[in-house]
Amino acid sequence: MPGNNGNTVNIAITGVGGQGVLTLAEILAKAALQCGLNVRVGEIHGMAQRGGHVVCTVRMGENARGPIIDPGSAHLLVGFEPVETLREIQLVKQGGCVLMSSHVQYPVAVSMGKAEYPNHDEIIKTMNKYTDKIYEFDAMELAVQAGSTRALNMVMLGGIIGTGLVPITEEAALVVVRETFPKKFEKINTTATKLGFNQAKSCS
Amino acid sequence: MAKPKELLEDKPGKEILLLANEAIARGVLEAGVRLVALYPGTPSSEIGNNLTFMAPHIPNFYFEFSTNEKVALEVAGAAAVAGVRSMMVCKGPGLNVAADPFFSLSYVGVRGGMVIVVADDPSMWSSQNENDSRYYALMGNMPMMEPADPIEAKSMLLEAYKFSEKLELPVLFRTTTRVNHTRAPVKLGKILPRPEKVEFEKEPFRFVPVPSVARKRHPWLLEQIEKAHELSEKSSLNFTEGKGDLGILTSGVSYNYVVEALTAMELKAEILKLGITHPIPEKMITDFLRRHKQVLVVEELEPFLETHARRLAHLNKVTVEILGKEQGIFSRTYEYSPRIVMEALKEVTTCNTPINWEEIDKKSQDLSELPPRPPLLCAGCPHRATYYAIRAATRGKAIYPSDIGCYTLSIAPPLETADILFDMGSSITTACGLAKVTDQDVVATIGDSTFFASGLPGIANAVYNQHRICVVILDNRTTAMTGHQPHPGTGVTGMQKEVPPLDIAEVCKGLGVKYVKNVQPFESIADLVAEVREMVKWAREKHSPAVLVSIEPCALLTAADRRRTGEFPPKYYVDSDVCNACKRCLNRLSCPAMYMDSETEQAVIDEALCNLCGTCVSVCPQGAIKQEEDV
Repeated sequence: MPGNNGNTVNIAITGVGGQGVLTLAEILAKAALQCGLNVRVGEIHGMAQRGGHVVCTVRMGENARGPIIDPGSAHLLVGFEPVETLREIQLVKQGGCVLMSSHVQYPVAVSMGKAEYPNHDEIIKTMNKYTDKIYEFDAMELAVQAGSTRALNMVMLGGIIGTGLVPITEEAALVVVRETFPKKFEKINTTATKLGFNQAKSCS
Repeated sequence: MAKPKELLEDKPGKEILLLANEAIARGVLEAGVRLVALYPGTPSSEIGNNLTFMAPHIPNFYFEFSTNEKVALEVAGAAAVAGVRSMMVCKGPGLNVAADPFFSLSYVGVRGGMVIVVADDPSMWSSQNENDSRYYALMGNMPMMEPADPIEAKSMLLEAYKFSEKLELPVLFRTTTRVNHTRAPVKLGKILPRPEKVEFEKEPFRFVPVPSVARKRHPWLLEQIEKAHELSEKSSLNFTEGKGDLGILTSGVSYNYVVEALTAMELKAEILKLGITHPIPEKMITDFLRRHKQVLVVEELEPFLETHARRLAHLNKVTVEILGKEQGIFSRTYEYSPRIVMEALKEVTTCNTPINWEEIDKKSQDLSELPPRPPLLCAGCPHRATYYAIRAATRGKAIYPSDIGCYTLSIAPPLETADILFDMGSSITTACGLAKVTDQDVVATIGDSTFFASGLPGIANAVYNQHRICVVILDNRTTAMTGHQPHPGTGVTGMQKEVPPLDIAEVCKGLGVKYVKNVQPFESIADLVAEVREMVKWAREKHSPAVLVSIEPCALLTAADRRRTGEFPPKYYVDSDVCNACKRCLNRLSCPAMYMDSETEQAVIDEALCNLCGTCVSVCPQGAIKQEEDV
């Protein structure tokens, strides 16, 4: 039995505070609930949210009790940004999958010349020590295509479902997206979700 | 976030996804609580954030953001003394602020049910310490309950009110971050009505603990705790589960990790899970200890239950090996996880863990060398401009006492304007102490909400004792760090009512500060630097406190406003013909919206992240940063 998984699907979502990681986790969990699944979400609020590294967890299935995903236990690691994805790569279980946006957001330490941003090949090479199932695309580009950079998280939502690793239908996710956000952003959000879905589907 | 509207729905049986904090807000409705008072503090913040929007829609309900936790506990305590159900909410360090009334409350007791929710923060995700508040229950002799998840957070809260009323004592409802910020499906229950008003029946020889009264109340309190003990022995909130040679004593969030760990390792054990952790069910625990040769105690932070278990084993002459922190099996720092429990079980049972974590850890060592991304001031944060000016005006040579809020993030380079911090309000008072024993200039910074919460006594102290300190009050018109709650300076109450705001500058003048000025951080950096210089000079010469109030709304509020109205000021950009790549903007401001283009080696503003404050414009010596209409 793999770690604390049991029959549970573990999804870790990582990114930079302000990118919409928390919102994605909640939408995903609501969709799971709508599909009749037991679910737990682990969130981090407060100081951790201010532009820093953020991780949220979504756990679906009967045995999900607490919010924590241990190293080596995530079926799917969702990354909004390459370095932030790499930072949490140890969460991925053997044979697990990474869904990552390739759009880079430089940490301030890099902008100030105090640290170097690893190059793309290095990032992938290190990730491959953990898994070779990496779906990567520029989610920011798709968000812009959908109508707003702020729809980045909805592109990732579509992406997650597109991997086919999560027992949630695209329809259930879209219902929750429509219910959750104001009407005037509906088109942008649903378009973003669909773009992410199609992109991940074509990768998988 | 679950909408407050969902939390108000009168649909018993409906299941919705809630944070424990949201479940507690809903519990307030279902328990017929009449009054809630709190000062926001993460990880408990979402309780108030939801109640403030629910409050105007709940008949006979009053909610307030009190000025601090001590005030909140006194407001809520009095309501319960009068005979209605009440609640006070705080984070761990907040209970320290409220410690004074806390101890009196258990002596005088309450007539209506009262719950004090305290949210501890193992791992210190957003706190200055990871104090274990459970000791307050012991020291103050207040019954205590600990839910393990959002589902229990609501159901146990309803029990806590019944418990409180049976005993005429408040109940300490202790949560931890991983309970508060876990989301789970929670079933809504029936909503209880609230009384409109009650008549306060005088009973001064109970409620005024002068020594002669207090001396009678202490034995009374001990009798009540004995009654509470009997209830604890019988309560279904304390239960055993499973069978096995090994016993596991646990409570709170750790219970989940125990269940998951046993499943993952396919191990059998008997779990004793405590919902009531003061007074503990002593007989139940003693019997449990008797049934096992080994009992593992799983609890985050201090060995609270473990020490109790050792005491009971000794007292009742039970031969049992109690395993926990005393043997170093568990740590007294940071939060736990299923992994930590599994590794402890491996040590105790010699069964293997399902994952080879050693190997993963070894493989992951290099990951710590990745460029760090700690939390930092947001793009467009007005504090950045103010701190830049403070640092420039004092050349980094003054002492910079800091305070509790987003602005503590100025600890990081290049702003580096946080040198000392104890607690809420300590910027002003530590400045007083430093000004007396050093010759250095002292420039303290404190946020607007923190100023009202705990800054006022410090200002009065500085005026009265003539401390030559400078105080910059960072007025971003909100309590930003905890999620934008109002405070006395904002003109909005917890009931969503508009009221006259308190003016910070006038408050300082009223307290006797002779040098008080309002400034705007986004108007001109050069002027701001000059203002700080003048203030420092004045304080030094007059040997008295001087105050600047730097007023500009939080960037997140401004950004939300702009998205709502659709009106944005013109964008800023770096003119690549003028930029000589000196990196001053990057190195002095550390704005997350700016980065160096690796190809052109020039500064670039990320349009998607820029919050249009324009601070960088005046920092650039070349005049290379421009606003679009300048073209």
